[in-house]
Amino acid sequence: MFFALTDEQQAFASTVTEFLADRFDLEAVRGVVEDPEGDGHPVTLWKGLADQGTLAVLVPEEHDGLGLGLVDAQVVARALGAGVAPGPWLATVLAAEAVRIAGSAEQQSRWLPALAAGETVGTVALRGEGGAWDGSGITVDANDGRLNGSASPVDYPAVAGLIVVAATDASGTPGLYLVEAGASGLTVRDQHTYDGTARVGAVEFADTPAEALPNGDAAAVRALLARGAVLNAADLVGVAREALTRTVAYDRDRNQFGVPVGSFQALKHALADLHVAVTMAEHAVLFAAHAVDTDDDGAAIAVAVAGSKASDAAWNATGAMIQFFGGIGFTWEHEAHFFYKRARRRAPLFGSAAEHREALAALTM
Amino acid sequence: MRAVDLTYTAEEEQFRQELRTWLAENIPTEWTVPGYWATLSDEESFEKRREWEARKTAAGFSGIQWPVEYGGRGGTPAMKAIYDEETVRAHAPQTVNVLGLTFLAPTIMAIGTDEQKAEIIGPMLRNEVIWCQGFSEPGAGSDLAAVATRGVLDGDEYVVNGQKIWTTNAMHGDKIFTIVRTEAGSEKHKGLSMLLIDMNQPGVEARPLKQMSGASEFGEVFFTDARVPAKDCLGEIGQGWRTAMLLLSFERGASGVGQYTEFRRQYDEIVAEAKRFGRADDPVARQELARCLVELECLRYHAMHILTQVEQGKDLGSESSMTKLQWSEAFQDLWEAFEHVLGPEATLSAPRPDVDLSPFHAQDHWSRSVTIWGGSSQVQRNIVAERVLGLPR
Repeated sequence: MFFALTDEQQAFASTVTEFLADRFDLEAVRGVVEDPEGDGHPVTLWKGLADQGTLAVLVPEEHDGLGLGLVDAQVVARALGAGVAPGPWLATVLAAEAVRIAGSAEQQSRWLPALAAGETVGTVALRGEGGAWDGSGITVDANDGRLNGSASPVDYPAVAGLIVVAATDASGTPGLYLVEAGASGLTVRDQHTYDGTARVGAVEFADTPAEALPNGDAAAVRALLARGAVLNAADLVGVAREALTRTVAYDRDRNQFGVPVGSFQALKHALADLHVAVTMAEHAVLFAAHAVDTDDDGAAIAVAVAGSKASDAAWNATGAMIQFFGGIGFTWEHEAHFFYKRARRRAPLFGSAAEHREALAALTM
Repeated sequence: MRAVDLTYTAEEEQFRQELRTWLAENIPTEWTVPGYWATLSDEESFEKRREWEARKTAAGFSGIQWPVEYGGRGGTPAMKAIYDEETVRAHAPQTVNVLGLTFLAPTIMAIGTDEQKAEIIGPMLRNEVIWCQGFSEPGAGSDLAAVATRGVLDGDEYVVNGQKIWTTNAMHGDKIFTIVRTEAGSEKHKGLSMLLIDMNQPGVEARPLKQMSGASEFGEVFFTDARVPAKDCLGEIGQGWRTAMLLLSFERGASGVGQYTEFRRQYDEIVAEAKRFGRADDPVARQELARCLVELECLRYHAMHILTQVEQGKDLGSESSMTKLQWSEAFQDLWEAFEHVLGPEATLSAPRPDVDLSPFHAQDHWSRSVTIWGGSSQVQRNIVAERVLGLPR
């Protein structure tokens, strides 16, 4: 029995955390937040993340990757969440996962090394407006190598060189397709998310040429959604832990009524409950990552548990951050809203807490 | 260092098979019927379990992690987790000597005298002596340092007067490990001693406490000039608080793996009733039950985390407060969900002629106690806030 991170995994986490602290701290994040018309994709940050191998974690070694698993990838996602780091890391990792899982040898050779090195930004378009995250919410049709329809919200479509699109064919069967930037009939529209640490858009296809991933069947779509759910949950857990840590540090020092406000049980008990919840969410994400890595029978349950628990933990911890910083936490100048908005943007992605719970009910009732 | 690995060693799995085989041969089918134990009187239930557990000990399936010299199996922490899981799975009855086995025995192994080690542990393991815990008093619940029961030295014996309450198995106890104020006029944590008092004497009277569930797991113990030899003190005289804290630290053995197995079965039983009464398609009911399942699964992961920490020899410190909060709140929420989901039917013992929900009510009502005993949820939150998060007192 070993349910923890190895020394190497902890060192990997520290590397990313220290890189962000040194080279892309909250002031740098603020620069991205306060430039909503910018592409939200700072080159220095992206290059640093690529240099550390964070984009190569899941890519097989024969394609210049590290050949590791989701347990390792969630380490990176947590660190990026804790640092509220902008950029298309998750989008690119998932695009590579699609190619790894469902692509031909040729497609893998063409795309995986470039995605692993950060030379190509990837993203995934797996769901349409108002749709569910279980493969049923696809609003793109595939016909004779052409796509029609739309998908949203899509992370960083404007900077993506490669978009992996879930589309249904004439028989209604879902599949995965590759669309390259600049393809004819491809339109990207910025949807202006309030989460300034990301750029999100709608992607529209009008007879857009696309290359099918040969093994991109319904199971592959589900596999991709599960991996997205785990890594998104990992980001949320990182957000939650950092929000809680910052709040606790502040409430230890902030004096009112002549004492630190953190000495009041009204705060203590709420913060203790959040600590338990965030800790459980951390366990849940680690377990789900391992379950997916090992194709465990209980993986679907584990992913849904992690998705719902991490969503709720981040939602609650970031709300509490604003409340327990008091008025200062409500200001634009304070960083609390970075965490709050990131948590709320990410919480519904790859399935909201309620959708994950419904999935659990369906699996166990 | 290895990566996440949720498997057990071959030796541990071998132990699981041996235990599973023994349990299959030694658990009567009627014991596996939900609510079976509630059909017996407290006395019948206790004696049956006492006898069964003694046989289990003779077969080598008690004291799993204890050293062989104490009559234990000398097993690994994982074997204890496997033991907890398998006994729940097989519907084995609850141990009758739970407080002695969980708390007293490891404390004696750690700081007891040679005489105490030789005389106390074996008979406890064989259920020849049933141990009670005498900590809480009417005026000392969450505030344990407020104990007023006093002991006065008379020759080489202490004469003890006072009252303990919420004593598990009070009516069946032979001996009680008790926090007593042995230094007159002392206050709070000072002047306390952990005395091991014989309950089978005229100066000790136990009375049952009838709980809201109707059962009587707890009782009260009254000391009126009860006598205890001064040598029957665990740890040094006057160091009772230190002994008590050491003793309570062994609660980390509380098994999340076994609890998960038990609660997860209860979840499935509640789901089955929700289906029976046509409530399983209601989206609100599904959300609430799934919310419970999330917390139960997290309890399971947390148990794996704790087991890993123990196997790595790490000190869990105040982490046991988190464990207590997670399992007790999750368990209580599960039974709230039972009430919410089933609605009026949940309140009926016989909603249909062929349906008996009284075992559910026993769990439901029991669930209100678990966030109080063993350190209430409010006390646990203070501990997490102050000792884990470092918030000021």
